[in-house]
Amino acid sequence: MKISVNWLKEYIPVDHTVEEMANKISLTGIESGPVKLGEELTNLVVGHITSIKSHPDSDHLKVCQVDVGESEDIQIVCGAPNVAVDQYVIVALHGAHLPNGVRIKRGKLRGQESNGMICGLDEVGVPAKYMPEEFENGIYVFDQPQKPGVEVYDLLGLKEQMIDIDITPNRADTLGMHGAAWEIGATYNEKPTFKKPELDDSKVKDLTDIDVTVDAKDLVPDYLVRELKDIKVTKSPLWMQRRLWNQNIRPVNSVVDATNYVMIEYGQPVQAYDLDKLNQSLTVKLANAGDKLNLADDVEKTLTANDLVVTSGDKILGLAGIINGPEATVDENTKNVVLEAGVFDGASVRKTAQRHDLRDDASNRFEKGVDNGIVEEALTRATQLVDQISPAQEISQTIVGNFTKAEPTVIKGSIDHINHLMGLDLSADEIVGIFDRLGFTSELNGDAVTVTIPTRRWDMGIEADLVEEVNRIYGYENLPNTLPAGMETRGGYSAKRELSNKLRDILLGEGMDEVINFSLLSKQEVADFNVNQTEYTKLLHPMTEDHEYLRNSLIPGLVRNVAYNQARKNNDLSIFEQARVFARPTGQDRPNEIPYISGAISGNVVEDSWNTEPKQVDFYYVKGIVEELLSFTNADADFTFVATDEYTNMHPGQTAKILANDQVVGFIGKLHPDYQKKHSITDTFVFELNINALFGLNTKSVKAQSAPKYPAITRDLAILVNKDIQNSQIINDIFVNGGKYLQDVNIFDVYEGKNIKQDHKSLGYHLVFLNPNDTLTDEEVEKAFSLVKDSLVQKFNVEIR
Amino acid sequence: MSLNDTLKNLRENGIDEAKRAQRLQELNDLRVNLLGKKGPITKALRGMKDVPAEQRPEIGTLANNVKKDIQAAIEEKMSELNQKLVAKKLEEETIDVTLPATKQTQGTKHILNQTIEDIEQFFIGLGYEVAGGYEVEEDHYNFERLNIPKDHPARDMQDTFYLSDELLMRTQTSAQEGRDMEAHDFTKGPLKMISPGVVYRRDDDDATHSHQFHQIEGLVVDKNISMADLKGTLDALCRHVFGPDREIRFRPSYFPFTEPSVEVDVSCFNCGGEGCRICKYTGWIEVLGAGLTHPNVLKMSGIDPNEYSGMAFGLGPERFAMLKYGINDIRDFYLNDVRFLEQFKGVN
Ligand SMILES: [Zn+2]
Repeated sequence: MKISVNWLKEYIPVDHTVEEMANKISLTGIESGPVKLGEELTNLVVGHITSIKSHPDSDHLKVCQVDVGESEDIQIVCGAPNVAVDQYVIVALHGAHLPNGVRIKRGKLRGQESNGMICGLDEVGVPAKYMPEEFENGIYVFDQPQKPGVEVYDLLGLKEQMIDIDITPNRADTLGMHGAAWEIGATYNEKPTFKKPELDDSKVKDLTDIDVTVDAKDLVPDYLVRELKDIKVTKSPLWMQRRLWNQNIRPVNSVVDATNYVMIEYGQPVQAYDLDKLNQSLTVKLANAGDKLNLADDVEKTLTANDLVVTSGDKILGLAGIINGPEATVDENTKNVVLEAGVFDGASVRKTAQRHDLRDDASNRFEKGVDNGIVEEALTRATQLVDQISPAQEISQTIVGNFTKAEPTVIKGSIDHINHLMGLDLSADEIVGIFDRLGFTSELNGDAVTVTIPTRRWDMGIEADLVEEVNRIYGYENLPNTLPAGMETRGGYSAKRELSNKLRDILLGEGMDEVINFSLLSKQEVADFNVNQTEYTKLLHPMTEDHEYLRNSLIPGLVRNVAYNQARKNNDLSIFEQARVFARPTGQDRPNEIPYISGAISGNVVEDSWNTEPKQVDFYYVKGIVEELLSFTNADADFTFVATDEYTNMHPGQTAKILANDQVVGFIGKLHPDYQKKHSITDTFVFELNINALFGLNTKSVKAQSAPKYPAITRDLAILVNKDIQNSQIINDIFVNGGKYLQDVNIFDVYEGKNIKQDHKSLGYHLVFLNPNDTLTDEEVEKAFSLVKDSLVQKFNVEIR
Repeated sequence: MSLNDTLKNLRENGIDEAKRAQRLQELNDLRVNLLGKKGPITKALRGMKDVPAEQRPEIGTLANNVKKDIQAAIEEKMSELNQKLVAKKLEEETIDVTLPATKQTQGTKHILNQTIEDIEQFFIGLGYEVAGGYEVEEDHYNFERLNIPKDHPARDMQDTFYLSDELLMRTQTSAQEGRDMEAHDFTKGPLKMISPGVVYRRDDDDATHSHQFHQIEGLVVDKNISMADLKGTLDALCRHVFGPDREIRFRPSYFPFTEPSVEVDVSCFNCGGEGCRICKYTGWIEVLGAGLTHPNVLKMSGIDPNEYSGMAFGLGPERFAMLKYGINDIRDFYLNDVRFLEQFKGVN
């Protein structure tokens, strides 16, 4: 809401710039910004049209003589359809600046001299949608004679200075000028003064033209109306109109404007009805499901049984506190009116307004709360204003549909505790002084303070609220900087997070860039890598099909990244992600959240450069990274790679499950060519590892051993073997037969093709023998080596070469 | 010719030959030829028997000197030739050091994780534990326990992805507060915790919104925690992250789970407070929200608000990183273009 400084001055003295005020209000209470309307405007004065002649060369232009307070009238050519003699109008003189950089200069219009422009309100900065409808297609005409030559800015509020406050939901008390005056007053230590509205007692009668009933009393704690009889609806006065259009409210007529004016003044929405269009009754109740409400412009809303409506007989007039249809609108023909001020349940208003997409100024106030203590006063004020502009013959007493007496809130606090929570040491007097600035009354009894909060601050309820009030008015800038002074604590990560960090560091060291992807995937993506065969977890109300399911693997995200990068010619990619996947066991609502670490590599792993030959990623490169990762888990486990063709989107001949002590902890392999094609990516190798599973393994306890003092002896073994035999089978068998001094077996050659028997391959191994305690003899080694060879021949039918 | 003269001739010729030598081999040959057992000096000394006995010592000394001098000349020349050889070799081995390196690549940690870990390290140093929490959370912890009952208007401020009536994608890492407080044994000292992680909102993705982003929640509960403690802690954090000359200020705000609640601004690190485009000409940049834990939140976790108080703060790593590195589009964090990622190599 925008707080007009001129309006504010009715309540408190103001002697600061809006910039200073906005800054101070932001620091002590509510985020605010300065607003200065019409800063650019110049040379705009009242003109009085003394005569009009038609333009000799134009059908629609008129040549006007205008008194602008100078010794002679000036001639202005005007094309507005509503221009007429004896009007008081806005004249932009030669040299005038208008909004959007428009400048007025004297000149000739179709040969006729024109020394300025007669303006519409929208041409001088009032938005077209907030100016009175009658001037929409023409110039603005003052209701009352004005002094020619006088500047128009104050008359029309064109250079209004305002403070735009952006409230948090708890501070709706400042959505009215009175509440804002209290808040700004407390900031500057100024108590606001307000005039109580009064009615002409002689007009007030016991009128009973209307029955008022509230059915849903729990949702409508207050519902008050007054009748005004035999009024003449007119335009509202300019002072009221200009305040309304500067609040972005279009002036309509004396009654509607008065209700809107009171909403701005008190923060209490007020509604007006044409008494003669009602069936002698007003009822507030819940709608029947399927009821229709017709709004202006042929909009029809279908209501639910949770919508609170105002009805008269069988007519539904509107949604309580939100919007009314045209049924009982007050217009220029209205003779008798009913003014209504009520309090409607915030949650109910909020839901109804949301449901029907009808949030507005009134519903916003009910949603956030209004002051139950001023409902009757606001109604009286609206009645007074209507009677002042459109005098009534008779006015009713307040007719009560429901009324709840508003009680002030009493909060008990301790000066010491309040100081403790702030980290300050203010005296009781200082604290009580701040309460007084806010208009709270307080009673001190030793350390105990009892604070009575007026109903306008319904956000206040507990001692912590007092702490906030004292602290902000005292000034947060005056708080010292301290650190919590309690017992020492030891900070750090959890052990599992430490493991994750370590694994991430390894992959960074392997040259892999870390990525972060979205957890929400498409249906296709969760189907693509459901390798653990868990249930999908779906959002109730997804925003897009792209983000509908919780991910069950990190690989679809990595594939998105590979595709995105390759499309931008970043072809050599090595990326990884450490994040959670969501695996939902059957029969469980909540998915388990499991940390994984996954990677994807495509393109060259050695670049094509002046001194290196390019090398494409292959299975064994990625396997090397994974083995390095596994070795850094410090797990006392036997890690093995077992070929698998079970995973639909993985290459059936280049994929392996990763096992730790025979339990699957992840997999590694090449993406299936079809899948790669679908995602327009080149050959890509991926892996994933379940960090929970790795974390669960026993850790190694390392006992230091000296490096061996005796030399190792190596033997080379070359064999010809059937193609289907896997390296791991050979190596396992070598270890089984190699004896206790066999230290290591390394494969140094794999060859198939030319000069090799059909369906066979040639393998070469280095066998390393070492006795840490003594020198090995050739005989010992030879004996073990023979056993190895014999077994291979026997088990795998190998040829020793 | 006297023996004396013969030796002197040999010396002259020997030194001369050594000086003329071009290759090491010539010098080696020269040494063997002149100084060896079959060399002319040895041969000449056989004539010693014809020399009168009293002259023999003199001749002997001369012969030794001749040998020494030739030897010295050979060695000098050898060293000279050696130096030339080394110099030649070094010259041949000279390379163009401006040619590009053989690539040794370390990967780049994602800039969000760098930002998060920088903040984690700061708080670990102050004795905070780093907690994880659940990304799929109960309505109970995400809202109810934070003083946000079902009809609370604050639920509008954050549209939520629900999985069922009771389960949702957490909208804030504050959801961890209730769990942290329940689990903590206050007889062992204060609760000091930060909870970094991913949160989710039903927002359309655009330059400033993302349906998934990160938060770091901080929570301290102890006897006598005050607003001044909160201000001192966040002041130190902002200096750590944005530079030692930064200041912070508190502005009143509203969160259902803190009272008082504040927004925290840091003085603009771009203009130093004079006003620029980044700080929207205010000299200040809003960086996080904070406050004292609402007494209801403490009570719901079984903590007596008359005995204990708490402070809580929540900050956005995306916002921190965007401010610090001038990133204009939040979507860049999640597109993972490696050219974007790699520019942050080693910044933290
Ligand atoms: Zn700046």
